[in-house]
Amino acid sequence: MSITIQNITKRFGNFVALDGIDLEIPTGELVALLGPSGCGKTTLLRIIAGMETADGGEVLFSGQEATHLHARDRNVGFVFQHYALFRHMTVFENVAFGLRVKPRKERPGNAEIRKRVMDLLALVQLDWLADRYPSQLSGGQRQRIALARALAVEPKVLLLDEPFGALDTKVRKELRRWLRRLHDEMHISSVFVTHDQEEALEVADRVVVMNHGRIEQIGSPDEVYSNPASPFVYQFLGNVNVFRSRVHGAWAEVGRGESAGDGETLAFVRPHEIDIEHAPVANGLEAQVQDVHPIGPVVRVELAHASELIEVELTRERADGLGLAKGQHVWLRPRQVKVFAAPEAAAYPLEEGGSGI
Amino acid sequence: MNARRANAEPRWVRLTLTAVALGFLALFLGLPLVAVFVEALAAGVPAYLSALADPETQHAVLLSLVIALVVLPFNVLFGVAAAWAIARFDFRGKSLLTTLIDLPFAVSPVVAGMLFILLFGARGWFGPWLSEHDFRIIFAVPGMILATLFITFPFVARELIPLMQAQGREEEEAAVSLGASGWQMFRRVTLPNIKWGLLYGVILANARALGEFGAVSVVSGHIRGETNTLPLHVEILYNEYNAVGAFAAASVLALLALVTLVAKTIVEWRMQKETAMLQADLPPEAVRSEA
Amino acid sequence: MTSSSRRVLPGFGLSLGYALVYLSLLVLIPLGGLVLKASTLTFAEFWRIATTEQAIASYRVSFGASFAAAAINAVFGTLVAWVLVRYPFPGKRLVDAFVDLPFALPTAVAGITLATLYAGNGWIGRHLEPLGVKIAYTPYGIVVALAFITLPFIVRTLQPVIEDIEPEIEEAAASLGASRWQTFAKVLFPAIFPALLTGFTLAFSRALGEFGSVIFIAGNLPMVSEITPLLIIAKLEQQDVVGATALAVVMLAISFVLLLTINALQWWAASRHKGRTA
Repeated sequence: MSITIQNITKRFGNFVALDGIDLEIPTGELVALLGPSGCGKTTLLRIIAGMETADGGEVLFSGQEATHLHARDRNVGFVFQHYALFRHMTVFENVAFGLRVKPRKERPGNAEIRKRVMDLLALVQLDWLADRYPSQLSGGQRQRIALARALAVEPKVLLLDEPFGALDTKVRKELRRWLRRLHDEMHISSVFVTHDQEEALEVADRVVVMNHGRIEQIGSPDEVYSNPASPFVYQFLGNVNVFRSRVHGAWAEVGRGESAGDGETLAFVRPHEIDIEHAPVANGLEAQVQDVHPIGPVVRVELAHASELIEVELTRERADGLGLAKGQHVWLRPRQVKVFAAPEAAAYPLEEGGSGI
Repeated sequence: MNARRANAEPRWVRLTLTAVALGFLALFLGLPLVAVFVEALAAGVPAYLSALADPETQHAVLLSLVIALVVLPFNVLFGVAAAWAIARFDFRGKSLLTTLIDLPFAVSPVVAGMLFILLFGARGWFGPWLSEHDFRIIFAVPGMILATLFITFPFVARELIPLMQAQGREEEEAAVSLGASGWQMFRRVTLPNIKWGLLYGVILANARALGEFGAVSVVSGHIRGETNTLPLHVEILYNEYNAVGAFAAASVLALLALVTLVAKTIVEWRMQKETAMLQADLPPEAVRSEA
Repeated sequence: MTSSSRRVLPGFGLSLGYALVYLSLLVLIPLGGLVLKASTLTFAEFWRIATTEQAIASYRVSFGASFAAAAINAVFGTLVAWVLVRYPFPGKRLVDAFVDLPFALPTAVAGITLATLYAGNGWIGRHLEPLGVKIAYTPYGIVVALAFITLPFIVRTLQPVIEDIEPEIEEAAASLGASRWQTFAKVLFPAIFPALLTGFTLAFSRALGEFGSVIFIAGNLPMVSEITPLLIIAKLEQQDVVGATALAVVMLAISFVLLLTINALQWWAASRHKGRTA
């Protein structure tokens, strides 16, 4: 089932949570709503699920008007951020819930329920936990049970609110690969909300980057990472160096016509897209090495150009080859630069930038 | 041992404080409780039993039970409804409503009873109309039920509101998104989650309903064998210098109080066990992390 | 948040409607009746009735005894709460449960029992009489009854707050060189003070309105040991509804003020706590 969102608006008092959202989610895709907290992504997900009513705009399921359909009748599977498992029911009863509350004539028999629940538990690889209570499960197990419960009613759409948010790093990585595989098997249209860019880029077919109640960019993970449509997207997806025009003047050519015209502009360069050379290079920027931090397979180099601090990431081999030392003067050469007009870019303080990949 | 922890008092201080606290409780709470039973049995067991067998006392016991039985379902309904509205929805005037629910705890029972006299008494607002239709509320059982309702309605709501706020809305939202109807959601998800809190509130409301004196006293008219609840009957017997009778009746109430304490404690322990078990499962206070 | 949001859960109209109707019938209409009745009085008349010598004396008895009872419990209630939270002793859980006895025991039972115990020939009165101390049938008796009734308010308000004090705070104070007493006075007591004040106000508020336990032990001498609720009943029995109404309005006004005070105190304690942990 495809989902169409047209001009959805939502306010909470004076706070504009969603400001005219348009979005098309084609059948069978796995879409990530990505953005910082407060950007409206969870509100949008809840509006799709019917848990929240939009102030304006429409939601269509397969082209059918669904804006005023009750959550109960949308045939949507919703996985809550904190799982919302029924604490007083066993895992089995949690998964069976959606089947047991069906109207009598649609309700499957007990044997059928048993079979379907056990199949789902097998699908999420937790059939051995059927008689446990939610409090006896680990976070990752709860997450998978919540998913099995949502799938039990055979939803046409699966919605997941920060599905891995409450898990530790290792479990999170396992689970998101598992979710990706599961989606490839089931091909059910799915939308998940996340504030973690790595998660969105790894799992989703398409990424919708949101900020301040608006959509900043929609695209494949590769598109949004390699070709950010706005300074916000640039900063939210990974670390970035930002240069004021006086600094990046020498690099303007690398930006190749990306310049947003006259006036002050800012240039965005990712740390791993800068090369360091000992000898002066054309369009190079002279800088002094401040610090060298080897971090696992990469080496992070901090450099100073005038008063600006520049961060460069090199592979360990490259760094070993260069043999950098503090205080050394080197030349920086960017492989890719993107230029935005300054006022537009200035709307996003640098601190909001992503936490690095 | 004394220096084991930085935040422990010397042993003699701890022992002294414990002794003083326990001594205070024994003298202040324990002794009166013992005295009830000693006084009741002062003239021997046969006298005690015959005092209990007194028809007026028995009628008083019956009336107290009837009032409690009538009042409790109303309180449960009100408590669940108010808690559902307050803990699950946002609306204007919510804090005013919450404050209003606390009102009976602040108002003197005597004033509470008097409110109903002003409404339904012979010279009250609805008094003439009532006497025209030959229906008595004041100095009759309906008035006593009203007064008891007034005094006891907050108990269930006050237990449920914080409980349901702590549990959050997500489980119910999950139930609805899985297709449950309102009733299915309530019966299968909400009720199992609040059952101990509900029971706790009922125990407290019941104790207060059985023991209420001031409010009921104002509206009852003290008609023996008709509008005397057990606490009112205790007063009558006591004022007649029938100490054995008064304390015999009082001992029944004291026993009920002990039963209440035991039941309340068991429910508390159950709730503690459940919260401890579910601690990890409880969502943080804010159900939604954004907006 | 607007009222149109969050209606995915069912039953909002039904539950709120029921609660409001119930509250209106049981609370708002009766209160309205009282206000209406009171409004038949001019202010001068109201003032005259509310400030007769007997009324003033009853306020003095009610306020004085309630304050004294709350103060006694502020000391002993704090001690009991402290011991129950901090010190292990056998049977602690039973003692903890037993603290709620005054909540569970009907006030009339407490009243006749305390009157009997503290009377000149009672188990306690017997030992006090030779010392020239009379409790029953004097204002002191009222204090004893009110202290009995209100003890759990202070203990139960303080217990969770004492439980919540992180041991690190005391360890930090100790490591900075504070003596145990200094730690208590400068660190612990300020931490529990808002809760103590809340408990005190709760106890005071309950004591002001209390009737059942007091009348048996008070002696009920007008001008000496007559509490305001009893004066209201006396007026009702004399068919002086107007007089009773005026006094009820005074008591109700005080109740409202105390209720608001309690809310404000709890809000204060909560916001202080939030400020500390955030």
